[in-house]
Amino acid sequence: MLLFLNVLFPVIMGAILPLFRMKSRTLRSVYVMLVTCITSVLAFYNVFSSPSDTAFVFLHLTEKAVCMLQLDDMGRLFTGLIAFLWPMAVLYSLEYMEHEGGENSFFAWYTMTYGITLGIAMSGDLITLYVFYELLTLATLPLVMHRLINGRAAAGLKYLYYSLLGAALAFAGIMLVFFYGDSTSFTYGGVLTGLADEQKPLLRFGYLLAFLGMGVKAAVFPLHDWLPSVSVAPTPVTALLHAVAVVKAGAIAVIRVTFYAFGPALIAGTWAQALPFCLAAFTVVFGSAMAVKEKHFKRRLAYSTVSNLSYIVMGALLLTPEGLDGALNHLIFHALMKITLFCACGAIMTQTDREYVSELHGLGHAMPVTFVTLTVAAVSLVGIPPFIGFISKWKLAQAGVMAGDFYSIVAPAALVLSAILTAIYLFIPVAYAWFPAKDIPESKPAGSLDPTWKMKLPLIIWCAAILVLSVYSSPLQSFISEIARGAM
Amino acid sequence: MQLVLPGLIVFPMLCAVVSYLIGRHSRRARDWFACCAELTVFGVTLWLLIRSLMGQEALQFHLDGFCGLGMNLRADGFRTLYACVAGLMWAGTGLFSPQYFAHYRNRNRYHFFCLLTLGATLGVFLSDDLYTTFIFFEIMSFTSYTWVAHEETPSAMRAAETYLAVAVIGGMVTLMGLFLMYQALGTLSFDGMLQAAEALDSRRSLYLPGALILFGFGAKGGMFPVHIWLPKAHPVAPAPASALLSGILTKTGIFGILAVSLSVFRHDAVWGLVILLLGCVTMFLGALLGLFSIDLKRTLACSSMSQIGFILVGIACQCLLGEESSLAAQGTVLHMVNHSLFKLVLFMCAGTVYMHLHKLDLNDIRGWGRSKPFLKICFLMAGLGISGIPLWSGFVSKSLLHEGILEYVAEGAAFAPIAKAVEIIFVITGGLTLSYMTKLFVAVFVEKHPTRQQEFDENRHYLSLPGKIAIGLPALLIFFFGLTPSFSMRALSDLALPFLRSHPHAVHYFSGENLLGAVKSVAVAAVVYPFIVRKWMMQPDPETETERYVNRWLKHFDLEDSVYRPLIQGFLAAFGWLFSLLDRLLEGLLLPALMTLGTLIAEGADRLNDRCLIPLCTFVGTFFGRVLDSVTDLSVVGLKKTVMRTRTPAQRPTVGSLFAFRLGQLLDRIVAVLNHTILRFHPIKTRFVPAVAAAEEDMLETTSYFSRTISFSLLMFAIGLLIFLVLILR
Repeated sequence: MLLFLNVLFPVIMGAILPLFRMKSRTLRSVYVMLVTCITSVLAFYNVFSSPSDTAFVFLHLTEKAVCMLQLDDMGRLFTGLIAFLWPMAVLYSLEYMEHEGGENSFFAWYTMTYGITLGIAMSGDLITLYVFYELLTLATLPLVMHRLINGRAAAGLKYLYYSLLGAALAFAGIMLVFFYGDSTSFTYGGVLTGLADEQKPLLRFGYLLAFLGMGVKAAVFPLHDWLPSVSVAPTPVTALLHAVAVVKAGAIAVIRVTFYAFGPALIAGTWAQALPFCLAAFTVVFGSAMAVKEKHFKRRLAYSTVSNLSYIVMGALLLTPEGLDGALNHLIFHALMKITLFCACGAIMTQTDREYVSELHGLGHAMPVTFVTLTVAAVSLVGIPPFIGFISKWKLAQAGVMAGDFYSIVAPAALVLSAILTAIYLFIPVAYAWFPAKDIPESKPAGSLDPTWKMKLPLIIWCAAILVLSVYSSPLQSFISEIARGAM
Repeated sequence: MQLVLPGLIVFPMLCAVVSYLIGRHSRRARDWFACCAELTVFGVTLWLLIRSLMGQEALQFHLDGFCGLGMNLRADGFRTLYACVAGLMWAGTGLFSPQYFAHYRNRNRYHFFCLLTLGATLGVFLSDDLYTTFIFFEIMSFTSYTWVAHEETPSAMRAAETYLAVAVIGGMVTLMGLFLMYQALGTLSFDGMLQAAEALDSRRSLYLPGALILFGFGAKGGMFPVHIWLPKAHPVAPAPASALLSGILTKTGIFGILAVSLSVFRHDAVWGLVILLLGCVTMFLGALLGLFSIDLKRTLACSSMSQIGFILVGIACQCLLGEESSLAAQGTVLHMVNHSLFKLVLFMCAGTVYMHLHKLDLNDIRGWGRSKPFLKICFLMAGLGISGIPLWSGFVSKSLLHEGILEYVAEGAAFAPIAKAVEIIFVITGGLTLSYMTKLFVAVFVEKHPTRQQEFDENRHYLSLPGKIAIGLPALLIFFFGLTPSFSMRALSDLALPFLRSHPHAVHYFSGENLLGAVKSVAVAAVVYPFIVRKWMMQPDPETETERYVNRWLKHFDLEDSVYRPLIQGFLAAFGWLFSLLDRLLEGLLLPALMTLGTLIAEGADRLNDRCLIPLCTFVGTFFGRVLDSVTDLSVVGLKKTVMRTRTPAQRPTVGSLFAFRLGQLLDRIVAVLNHTILRFHPIKTRFVPAVAAAEEDMLETTSYFSRTISFSLLMFAIGLLIFLVLILR
């Protein structure tokens, strides 16, 4: 019941926000912050105390198809992640959106999205997951198209088209699970137990469909193209939704479909593993190479997200507990690093109106807080030890090497190549910012250009989280490895 | 007690933060603080060294879960020795830097990263497994990047770019090697790797991971062909940083190579041969580049590369010689230590020149040291040492390395002819070393500057006391080591041998054979310096009527500019081009395909609509319309005929109901009567018919409102009751 309330509360509170017609910015800020914080507190309460084995069924479709909310360990992980990130992203957007305008509708949808994302995290079966997954598309669409400026309408349409394609594919896959499976609720190892041999090819094809469908949100090549396009959206949307909530929901959905519905046993060692794996491995390199080529800083980060999401998907597709371990590590760590990077990038854009990498010369000294956090996140994302990016990449590569077959070469090679490219596309802006070349005329701005505390505080907290996890993360590590091994 | 080891790493890193914070308020205090921190670290490392010289048990430290695999530190012979050398290097540069940086910008940044690098470097040297080595190695690579970029000039930025690229690519390649090595051996601890590798039938599967690891560590060490950063980075970095880069950071690369060569590829002849050839090329090429260069620090940088080559040859000999590797092992260790000391002194001398003149070209700085005996003697000590002249420490280590090669040649093994060639190159390179050091010494301390000699000679107070200590002590140490090899250097090499998996072996340091080697090298120099350096590499300058040094190296012959950069850029460009083509293709195909599909469906529906549905609907609609039409007509007619026959309507009131109308009429009449009788003079003018009608309407409206409200709530109540009933009855 508390789970359902947790999902419903932000959705309702977000939906009625425009009814108040708030004129005062402070009042709305307090309202939004309050709703978000209450939801987060409730979410944390659920994470720590909701029992794993009881489900809240809120809709009986048929005997087999029930919609239910249930928090298993993986749900806890994702719930905890977004409950940690969301309030600070809201705090950040409170200031950011002052520059954008249209805050009433923005915050209404933003708050509703929180509930829907929690729904994805807490869903206990495939159908619920699918429902929330589609709702997420619809709820985030107005955010992408916010105020319909800067070609956002076109980007939003693109997003919609891709998502609809994904929905169609995923639906077909899910229906197969529904017909052949014991139930649709998530079980580690899959629900397709009593399959005859001649049914397996069909279900492998079904897995491919479901993978591609869920892969749209995880931006797996060739369905990645919407992600760089929607980086025209306001930064809080790009940072929280298109680096964490939406895309990570896609990654979670892929993991759910792979490990909890179709099951590794069905697909391991077949073309249904090899093909998606190759797509993911290709995307890892592809995204990084495109990011190197991209000159617009925010789009560059978006391409980097494309690449990093495929790290997660690739890790999961090794179909070993170690691979899932690495994937979940990267899921958490990448969320932290990328949201920091995006928000720092947004701070630069609002404070200085500079959008291209070549325009960042010497900004490091003008915006110290922003750029220190950006640098830490960048160094970590490249995978420089001892930062968290290194931990997850090490685990992923190790899992790849251990997986055997051609995976043991392809996975680490893709990771290493991508890491080199990552270094190129992230160190260049960082080096520009801290070491301005002398031949470029320095326009020394007066005083610090850093934004106010509302934007700085989230950056600092995230950066601190990166540093703390770099040094000490063993509880999280052991929790994740328990999930990966399917321990109850 | 074992917490000293992580403390040694964490302490400088914490000091880095503190010194940064102090530096925002006071420069002097920051300089003192940084210097004290470095001296403290030196003190602790010295204590560790003395501890292991006394033969006490090695300290160990293990931390689970650090960065995934855990951290293993250990302070035994070689590690304490090198930790101590690192401490000495940092303490020396720390004493020297306040004066050197007096007029620099961004000193806070320098000190911050300098202390961070100190911690990371100690981490590398104290590590007991390759994973820990790698982690600190990477941290060190990136924190030292700021040294190269410190001046922020275009050439510094370019060198820094190269340094960073080499660090990133080298680091990642090493990482790949570590993945594969871990997969193959199941452990990365030094002792564990030795056992696992010896348990294998064939080392063939280890060559690829080994080569990848060698690439990364070799890149940091300055090994050919990945030495490219070294000659570029040193001249542009501040002098204390150059001393550290050259004296100690290159040694971290060597440390990694040592770890792999002596654990995984112990006594592996193929591996030894590869290292031997690479080391030989590095050694000779470095010396050659140094001879050609006319830039003081660039020469020293190339010299570093050359000396690294000597060390690599030593490592190779250990792999080749197998159990008989003691001499080569001693030579390797001692040459590492010696080279660190030489470069500390030489780069700080160069820094002294640079901080006064801000020039490094030999033609501009010549004669500056003529009247500065202290600097001259220190430079001479290090110069003689690095050239391998007997009585200075370089002679001992080079002789040991030389003996190592000779021993292998004498063994007559398969690769002996190659080793013989290497031995010849070794002697020649020794001669080249002496030549370029003579070139530097003569230029800076003997020759006269054509125009500014007077000014140079008047500059007497060129070095502060801490600076003098920093340069003088290591110089003294070089001489001391050279004079007492069997006492001082013997102790150090014996201490380090267990790490190199070798055993002590008696050595005659000043044997005839060794002296002969030195004499050969001097003979080479005696030919090269007067005939090549003085004749070919100098030409008359018509302006000042003296000889000028000229760079005879081919201008466009640069491995980095002509091979690596185009290669990487081409690779990136091709990558980007291919992928963006794919991207565009996708954008051009998938989205249009989706949209076309949508359009097709829509058009199909549209056409279906046009062709079938609309005509059908029209037909059906018309038919029913007609029918309905006639039905209406008929029924209207029927109704008119029957029920709704026209009647003459009764007189209706114009406003209000009949009752109100009559009431109004009545009142009107009464009023009329009254007006005629009593109220004759004040007649009532109100017309009562409309007034009553209005009042009635008002009343009716109110009642209907009431009734509606009540009926609504009744309805609601009823529904609620119904639901309640249903719920109860269920």
